[in-house]
Amino acid sequence: MNLVQQLINGMVLGHAYALIAIGWTVLLGVARLVNFGHGQIYMLAAFVTWWAVAGLGLPYPAAILVAMLAGVLIGLIMQAAMLRLTFAQDLVSIMIVTLGFGHMMRGIAGLVFGGHPQVLETPLSWIDFEIAGAWVTAQDLAIILVAILFFALLHFVLERGALGRTARMVAEDPKLAQLAGIDVRRVYFAVFAFEGAAVALAASLVAPRTPILTSIGFEEVIVTFVVVVLGGIGSVAGSYVAGLGLGIFTALFGGFVSPAYATTAAFGVLIVVLVLRPSGLALGAGRGAR
Amino acid sequence: MTRPVLEARDLRVAYGGNVALDIPHLAIAPGELVGVVGANGAGKSTLVNALLGWSRGAPRVSGSVRLDGEEIGGLPPHSRVRQGLTLVPEGGAVFMRLTVADNIAAASAPASSGRRGHDEEEVYALFPRLRERLHHAASALSGGERQMLAIARALRLGPRVLLLDEPSIGLAPRLVADVLRTVRGLVDENLSVLLVEQNVRAAIEVVDRLILLERGHILAQGPAAAMRDDPRILAAYLGEAVA
Repeated sequence: MNLVQQLINGMVLGHAYALIAIGWTVLLGVARLVNFGHGQIYMLAAFVTWWAVAGLGLPYPAAILVAMLAGVLIGLIMQAAMLRLTFAQDLVSIMIVTLGFGHMMRGIAGLVFGGHPQVLETPLSWIDFEIAGAWVTAQDLAIILVAILFFALLHFVLERGALGRTARMVAEDPKLAQLAGIDVRRVYFAVFAFEGAAVALAASLVAPRTPILTSIGFEEVIVTFVVVVLGGIGSVAGSYVAGLGLGIFTALFGGFVSPAYATTAAFGVLIVVLVLRPSGLALGAGRGAR
Repeated sequence: MTRPVLEARDLRVAYGGNVALDIPHLAIAPGELVGVVGANGAGKSTLVNALLGWSRGAPRVSGSVRLDGEEIGGLPPHSRVRQGLTLVPEGGAVFMRLTVADNIAAASAPASSGRRGHDEEEVYALFPRLRERLHHAASALSGGERQMLAIARALRLGPRVLLLDEPSIGLAPRLVADVLRTVRGLVDENLSVLLVEQNVRAAIEVVDRLILLERGHILAQGPAAAMRDDPRILAAYLGEAVA
């Protein structure tokens, strides 16, 4: 087994994991919310991208934008339905409602897009490069590049700008943030819209690697959960490191030990890390999105 | 009488079936410092919170609140803040994980309001101690420093009326006098303040007018000088026997 190939696979997988998880990281960091319909937004966005390319004949970049718009719309609808629960920080109800939304999205996807697996072909999938005897496609490189740019931009915005300060204020104390003149309701809507757009972007880039089915999404939620917790809840930099680490670990374990037990091993690592370091890997983790 | 800068009519707050506050009329004139005193549970915090439509619980609030003659009673708290009604809640609430500098920078009067809040230099001139602690997290500040930071944040928002909920709570006596003197100074520069205070002896020295609350109702009110001799104030708060 080629080590370089496994490392490249791990890098691609890791950036894909990080990209899929980033919406949840911000959601949890800013709004102290969870969304168990996250995986189904991923699934729907993958279908929308496929439909925009194969059905509407749009170029791939335009299809990504369409999918992101769909993600924003889904996020806004979910938040509109849950606004009262959000203000009450009723996490148990929010968990159940988002699970319900996830199931509804799966049903709607089945009705609209049918039960057959679809393949999203992009121009980037046909371009490949050889690096030290290992192969990587332009699609894979796009995942890495977009993930790095996205994380860098988000980190910059949350660390430096007034927007990041507002996010940290709402994350710490939404009631007190109102006294600073912040429209907390608007922040919650923005965060959910961002979550929808971010997971849709991830789906548009990652979905060409596998067939698209209405049943996909569950694994993505699990991976997201691992990345968010490992990275330290709410930590953008932590999520990036955790996603990358998990991807490389999964690829190496799958390549050199057994692909069948890669997820089991990943959860083993999660348990060990959480026992040794309950707040996750990131420094200052769990203190709101940053 | 000049038009009140803040006026409330038929302000009622209820938790379930229990009425916690019932105020038929309350007004504050421009540049006036009005003190609100009363025992624990009298409804002092409930009053200032209701004026802003803000609460950590979920009470039912009804009635009219007018700021500079404009009805704001139906607005959410953040909109009332933008209109110029600002609250410093009990305990000097600040963002603990933000530095002093970020706490200050995060608050500013909305550009569209036309009002000018204190700029950073003015705030540090008022509270020099904050300048020394600029890069410390607010969680590392003492109770008095947090209170200063909370008031500084409120001033940055360019308030027309400042609602101060027990700024002296937990402070050393010398700091209480400092904080109240600072508040008096702001009023002398034409800010209007509604000051909730348990330390009646300290409050009565700085306020223009005093309101005595009991069980959610106004029991007595009047100029500070007159209220100083009110038997209810004397007996209950100033510890003097009524002749």
